[in-house]
Amino acid sequence: MRVEDLGNRPAPASLRQLFARVVRGHGPSTVVQRRQIPYWQERGWTQKGRTYNGSYQTPYGAFYGQIDEHRGGQIDFLLYNPSDEIRRHSHWTCFQHRGNDWYIVHMAKQPGDASSGIMTIERLIKEAYEQQ
Amino acid sequence: MKHLSVVVAGSGQIRDVEIQPGTTAGDILHQLSLPDYLLSKGPNEPFFAAAESVYEKVKDGEKIFASTKAEVGAGVCA
Repeated sequence: MRVEDLGNRPAPASLRQLFARVVRGHGPSTVVQRRQIPYWQERGWTQKGRTYNGSYQTPYGAFYGQIDEHRGGQIDFLLYNPSDEIRRHSHWTCFQHRGNDWYIVHMAKQPGDASSGIMTIERLIKEAYEQQ
Repeated sequence: MKHLSVVVAGSGQIRDVEIQPGTTAGDILHQLSLPDYLLSKGPNEPFFAAAESVYEKVKDGEKIFASTKAEVGAGVCA
């Protein structure tokens, strides 16, 4: 049987690309940076000066609130229009009416930052609903 | 061995730690130099007690929170 040498010719581009991918292996992985933001920001609160506005978020609902940071380090946590469940909680006496349905939450131990206070109040609200 | 990402609530800073069976919440906070903090799996989860072993209660790679101690209440209330 006669064999005729037809010479070389380039492989089709699709084959070349496939071969290159096999030889190259996986490309370098991309490290996705984690967002390092305070809890209050992660939960959608906004800050204007020394005042934060947002919601205490729990499995039972989101409750509108405000936080005022004072110069001496004191932080006031306010809750708007607390639900009946919160009003029935054993700590309800720690909520002081400030007018227009706003209540300030007294802290026996002040949190070191707004985020920790938000978490504390979210826990309290959850507890209020689970005690029913 | 499990890896944990500890989110410091106030700053958002994430501290990666590796824990072994029997590691307590207190051990982690001590290692991270966060003595006045408490650890929890999230805002709606209870705090770990300082002497409580965390290893069995977390998954590898899980994110947990460190927040400063705070307590609702005052002389006038419960």
